[in-house]
Amino acid sequence: MANARKLYGLLLKLFPARFREEYATPLERQFCDDYRDLPNRGARALFWLTALADLAVSIPKEFTRELRQDIAYSLRVYRHRRTSTALAFVALALAIGATTGVFSVMNAVLLRSLPFREPQRLVELSWFPQPPFQGGDVQFRAWRGANPYLDDASVYVVFPMNLNTGREGVRVRVAETSANFFETLGTEVEFGRPFAPGEDTPGSDSVAVISYGLWQQVYGGDPRVLGSTIRLSGVQATIVGVAPPSMDYPERTAVWTPTIFDIQRLPISVPAWHDTTIGRLKSGVSWTRGNQMYQAEMHQRIGDRRLPGTPALVPLQEQLAGHVREASLVLMGIVVSVLLIACANVAHLLLSRITERRQELEVRSALGASRGRLIQQLITESTLLTLGASIAGLAVAHLVARLASVVEPVPMASQQYTVLDGAVLAFALSVATLTGLLFGVLPAGLLARMQPAADLVRVQPNTHGVGVRRVRGTLIAIQAALTVILLAGALAMGRNFLVLTGTDMGFRTDHAVAMTVSLSGTRPEAQKSQRQFYEEVLDRLRAVPGVESAGAVAYLPLTELAVTGTLGFRVDGDPIEHGASLNYATPDYFRAMETPIVAGRDFTPSDAAGTEPVVIVNQEFARQLGGDVVGRGIRMTGSKTNMRIVGLVRTARLFGPAGPAVPQIFLLASQSVPDFLTYVIRVRGNAVPYVSICRDVVRQLDAEVPVYDANTLEGLKGNTLARARFYTTVVSFLGGLALLLAVLGIYGVASFSIVQRTHEIGVCLAVGATPRRLRAMLLRQSLIPVAAGTLAGVAGAVLLGRWLEHLTVNTAPLDPTACGIALFTLATTAAGAVWKASRRVVRMDPMSILRAE
Amino acid sequence: MSKPKPSPVDALLPLPLPIFHMLLALTEGERHGYALKREILQRTGGKLNLASGALYGSINRMLEQALIEESEERPDPHLDDERRRYYRITPLGLRVAQAEAARLRELVQLAEDSLGFPEPA
Repeated sequence: MANARKLYGLLLKLFPARFREEYATPLERQFCDDYRDLPNRGARALFWLTALADLAVSIPKEFTRELRQDIAYSLRVYRHRRTSTALAFVALALAIGATTGVFSVMNAVLLRSLPFREPQRLVELSWFPQPPFQGGDVQFRAWRGANPYLDDASVYVVFPMNLNTGREGVRVRVAETSANFFETLGTEVEFGRPFAPGEDTPGSDSVAVISYGLWQQVYGGDPRVLGSTIRLSGVQATIVGVAPPSMDYPERTAVWTPTIFDIQRLPISVPAWHDTTIGRLKSGVSWTRGNQMYQAEMHQRIGDRRLPGTPALVPLQEQLAGHVREASLVLMGIVVSVLLIACANVAHLLLSRITERRQELEVRSALGASRGRLIQQLITESTLLTLGASIAGLAVAHLVARLASVVEPVPMASQQYTVLDGAVLAFALSVATLTGLLFGVLPAGLLARMQPAADLVRVQPNTHGVGVRRVRGTLIAIQAALTVILLAGALAMGRNFLVLTGTDMGFRTDHAVAMTVSLSGTRPEAQKSQRQFYEEVLDRLRAVPGVESAGAVAYLPLTELAVTGTLGFRVDGDPIEHGASLNYATPDYFRAMETPIVAGRDFTPSDAAGTEPVVIVNQEFARQLGGDVVGRGIRMTGSKTNMRIVGLVRTARLFGPAGPAVPQIFLLASQSVPDFLTYVIRVRGNAVPYVSICRDVVRQLDAEVPVYDANTLEGLKGNTLARARFYTTVVSFLGGLALLLAVLGIYGVASFSIVQRTHEIGVCLAVGATPRRLRAMLLRQSLIPVAAGTLAGVAGAVLLGRWLEHLTVNTAPLDPTACGIALFTLATTAAGAVWKASRRVVRMDPMSILRAE
Repeated sequence: MSKPKPSPVDALLPLPLPIFHMLLALTEGERHGYALKREILQRTGGKLNLASGALYGSINRMLEQALIEESEERPDPHLDDERRRYYRITPLGLRVAQAEAARLRELVQLAEDSLGFPEPA
């Protein structure tokens, strides 16, 4: 009997607070009365069944009822305090939204599994020595077969190529792989077949697997595509399969072909490249063990030769995530800080309500309302607010995810950042519930300390406001600390960004258009008339009304291929210390770029093929060489051709304002014709319409020649700055939001504490204190937690500075100036807020205050 | 133009059966929860046996709707345990019970008109 009673009593605890309080005793008692009369075990079992069924129905029913009542009450409360509620709501929505948005990126890149078989065992072998590109298949297969830690391994390299399907020319990424590439990844083809073993042997017939996207786009999803022929930069290959929609590894590839060991088969338009080796870890081998074995093998292979990095087996997912991994973690830290600040504000809101309603709550509590009831009400209030805010926050999260996909393009199509994902929605819901509970429970904890009996006798505002005040002080200190950290970070990043945008890049990006054409595999190449074609295009471009000048270059600054590997040179026999990067330009290229020619001259049409080869070098080249360069003879290491330096140009920042200065040497394009060129066209007025006009000029000349990467130079510059701009904007916005929230919190707490201490202030005024002195005292008291928090914040900012470097490459560590400005900003705005809040004291009349007591 | 508000009595109709029974039982005097349950069981010949949760759920709802109220007075303290709470019907409760009875009578009338008066089995 005692056990049954105890068990039933426990079950009754599941009822909501109000109901439990009213009816738990009679329910339990009734249970005992009925239970006592039961004749045997069977009857008792049946009785239990009925009782459980009854509870299963009544508990949810009572819960819904009380929840409905609590929600209705909460809404009334919130309507009553519209401004502060709206503010808390907006702050929470922004903070929860930003947190969820950042999580959606982490979820896509780090948590969602890759569309391969057992993707957690796929590795990239960093610093694996290149197999010989020509005829290395036998060697690679032998290494793979004997490998003790990998089940399988595969090698690839990606090049942009001209794809001709017989209709029009497009530029696509082509992965040259080993034959077992799809097998290693464990991905099936959508239909058709993957490569057969041996198809990567040099001399085999060329086959290709195309991407699902290409199949849809070019072949309209026609299944008869199998067996048809494509031309990759002029070389024929037969389509044998179509990859599944989720497959675009590596680097958004559109065509895979097993020609890695026969690299000369397809013409490649870049002078240097690096292949990648991937593998599948053997199932019995741990990551640590695998890494040890790999490193031991590498040590054996290369001996003591130094590599720029440590050889390691890197999980494929981590490798794909790259810098996004650190960036999203840092950003997550920042948004969580803002979320905490927003939460502190909600806590202030609830605390003010409790203090305001203290007497009411105490009376109710004295009349028998349990703490459980009040806690239930408070938790409902806070959870309601955070849940509502998180729904609004999903819109913010969606925006963040969209912005992020522009700034940090997804490594694979299957890693699209989206908010509409089970994990992301669950995250948003948990954040909302957690914050709601946290800030419902915290004020509720204060309620627990109230001593109803004592307070009813004489309300003494000062004695037991201490608990509340201490909590508020702590909250303010935390807010201040986080705000200083965020502000200092925002200031440092903002200043860096301004420096970036103002940097002279060595050329002008306004009023100019760029576009690239590649002739490999096209008619002009077949007819050996590349030079005529390039010149014809230039002539036609210059004839377009509004075009001021036009030139062309092989590797344009601000593009992916801005720089190639460096080559060794000798100037009049002296070697250049670090070598220089080679480029090709036409006459007028520097004019179109508005790159100043510092000494000597530009290329001219008379520097044609046949005469002594001429080159132009940049100032960085001259700086490394030292002394005058114009007029000196130059020779590439290992080459017999003597060339003459005829001009010196300003150094262009190849990777945008943050990039390093690279020594460059420009060859005349017509003297050594590259298979692709980027035209730069300087125009009068708005450059945007000229993007399509210029593209049409090439199309009209030959529709088969692909024109790609057509953009304004301003657009290209924007792309290189996009990441810095995004992170700077985000951190500045969050820093500003944090400051606003913190100051509002400080203001609210100060004005509230003045209302609370009206009596005390009245007494002080009555005994002769001036309002000014009182205000100074209030200011001092309110700023103590701010000061404490700020100091902690400065310490945090110094730590944060190091982490910010993960966001953009060019963030300088936090300097004392940024910290100082952040500190000053917070201190002055906080002091201003408190001073404003204390205005009330001036208007106070001590007599009427004391009389009211 | 807004719809005319229904009177508080009409808004509560039709009454759930257990509540109607409880109100009827309370017209005869104050009762505590357990007594109500017993009485309803007896009145319905054992057909309506209210489980405890349902019973106090209904009581809670009737209190909120002001159909009943807690009684301050106790019957003879010797007969009773003072921890028990007694409930009595309010004037509103009475009016609602009457209205429900009238509603049921109309319904029965309607049924009789269409079906004739059935012989009790």
